[in-house]
Amino acid sequence: MIHPVDSLLALVLLSVLISFASSRLPTLIKAVAFQGVVVSIVPFFMGHDLTVGGVVFTLATMVIRGIGIPLCIYLAIKKVAIKREVEPIIGYNASLLAGLLLIVAAAFVSPKFNLPQISVNALLLPTAITLLVAGMFLLMARRNAIAMVLGYIMMENGIYVVGTSFSLRAHHIVEFGILLDVLAGVMIMAIILQNIKQTFDDVDTAHLRTLKE
Amino acid sequence: MVELVFIAPMLAGIVAFFLPPTAGRPLLVLTGAAHLALSILLWALRPEALFPAYFAVTPEGLLSLLVISLLFFLIAIYTTAYLKAAEIRSENIFTGSMLLFLSTMTMVTLSDHIMVMWIAIEATTLASAPLIYTHRSAASLEATWKYVLICSVGIALALLGSVFITLSMDVGDVDVPVAFSSLMGVAQQLDPLWLKTGFVFILVGYGTKMGLAPMHTWLPDAHSEAPSPASALLSGVLLNCAYLGIFKTNKVMHAAGLGDFSGTILMTFGLVSILAAATFILKQTEYKRLLAYSSIENMGIIAFGTGIGGIGAYGAVLCLIHHSLIKSSLFLCSGNILLGYGNRLISATGQMARRMPKTFVAFFGGFAGISGFPPFGIFIGELFIIMAAFRTGHYLAVGLFVLSLCVIFAGFARHVMKISFDDVDTTIQIEETSIMVWPQYALLTTSMVLCFWIPETLYQTIVQALATTGGGF
Repeated sequence: MIHPVDSLLALVLLSVLISFASSRLPTLIKAVAFQGVVVSIVPFFMGHDLTVGGVVFTLATMVIRGIGIPLCIYLAIKKVAIKREVEPIIGYNASLLAGLLLIVAAAFVSPKFNLPQISVNALLLPTAITLLVAGMFLLMARRNAIAMVLGYIMMENGIYVVGTSFSLRAHHIVEFGILLDVLAGVMIMAIILQNIKQTFDDVDTAHLRTLKE
Repeated sequence: MVELVFIAPMLAGIVAFFLPPTAGRPLLVLTGAAHLALSILLWALRPEALFPAYFAVTPEGLLSLLVISLLFFLIAIYTTAYLKAAEIRSENIFTGSMLLFLSTMTMVTLSDHIMVMWIAIEATTLASAPLIYTHRSAASLEATWKYVLICSVGIALALLGSVFITLSMDVGDVDVPVAFSSLMGVAQQLDPLWLKTGFVFILVGYGTKMGLAPMHTWLPDAHSEAPSPASALLSGVLLNCAYLGIFKTNKVMHAAGLGDFSGTILMTFGLVSILAAATFILKQTEYKRLLAYSSIENMGIIAFGTGIGGIGAYGAVLCLIHHSLIKSSLFLCSGNILLGYGNRLISATGQMARRMPKTFVAFFGGFAGISGFPPFGIFIGELFIIMAAFRTGHYLAVGLFVLSLCVIFAGFARHVMKISFDDVDTTIQIEETSIMVWPQYALLTTSMVLCFWIPETLYQTIVQALATTGGGF
């Protein structure tokens, strides 16, 4: 039988592919929101002993990660009526192919690490690696500033998978740290986004090209 | 009482946001003075923290803390004069952010738990972002965006590295708190593969923040766009804080017997940074960017020295202290130059020796110091690093090292001569008040004194900090 964690992680991998192929910001935001929800509930199915505090913490993470942050970004683009294109540097078909290759490569390298969890959940490490690299890919391959922020959130999702599933010891402080990071980071980025919008009337980072060597 | 050192400036910072704009100036100086007094008290008493699981007073932390404290106090005094001369909108946001920035950096120096350290370093990014955006121009917006995005991604990698270190504890079946001090004792039992992976990620992550090439791209932009007192803080102490994270992880690596592995990587990153700085410094057109590239060079020197170990590591700590003192004084001088000439381009400046004689003395002295001339301390630090490199037989590396230093000196000297002596057709827009130059003099004098005479307690603290990495003589 397929372990429930693996079924969840398969959904996460799917959301990565959707985000690579989506040309519109709302779709991208929905994909990342869905990913945030699924990633946050993974700890419930891991079979670790959960304390009451742990359950509350995981639920809070889910609400902030899956609903709070995406909603903020969604409202932000609605309010300032930013162009809805993600302005790709690498095209959608090429991105999709890169995503598929990435998942294959991640699945290929994962068994080389000696981790106790791998034998139980075959998809755990491949998903974590895929999320990390996919986040960086979005950061580099999209010029739209909001798409870049979403790439950053995807990277943090990957770290969250590593932090909550593999390491038992630093559990809460890791969750707390990542949550703080995403919240504060996204808040500051949102403020800068608004300023970019006001200054250039657009969030295409191609405008941010005056400072270079 | 340990926690008070970062809680006090945090409260002051929050208060500053709600004060009328100019009221922040005295608050800045007062908090700086109180912080310095608390740091000296901490140095003398070395007390236990209230939450020993998360915070601890360590020798390397104390060294950084004292540098931060001294620098902030002097910079705060300069800032009062700078704010009078420069026009800054919403000054209370600027002063409040400065104080919060001080608080987060102090927290970095006192944290012992791996995750708390990471949270503190992340907090420094968030607290300093408003400082870079102070001028509200398109260029400063770009610099802030780059700074927040590149550093956040870098710090995220450092978080992953920290998680890998906890993983190395799980795989090695070690059950101690996830703090640097407790890891030192059990380092031998940690899983070496995950420890190595963790170190690489932490080096790349905190290295981004420290300005090691090739992750340095945010640094020249942020330093040139921020107001000069903020640049002085960024370059003088923020980079040290990021280095502290790498330094502590490197100590764990040494305790685990993986010092050669970490040393080689540190040396490589160090040399790449020095070479990158040498390439870019030659064709700089702005003097603040010039200083920023010089910071990248010095961070490279420090990483290189730490990687070699032995007296090289001792030299690296000396370079770290003196770089903070000298570079912050140079950035404060750049503030005077910017106010005086009203332009950031080197080509728009000239004849500083005659037109701004007081600033010229500090600027030229700082230039000599940062280039590694006696009687300033970087000279001794670099000498130790070169000696250590010869002793350990890294001939090719030390050849590249010395060559790059020569190129950087040549490039730097050409620009400084232009600023100091070339003819230019402008009038100076400000009066040089003594408060705008004596903080620089104080910083340079400290560096000069420390070159000839290191107090016993300072020497002992440096040796303690380096004890496990085989530093010292």
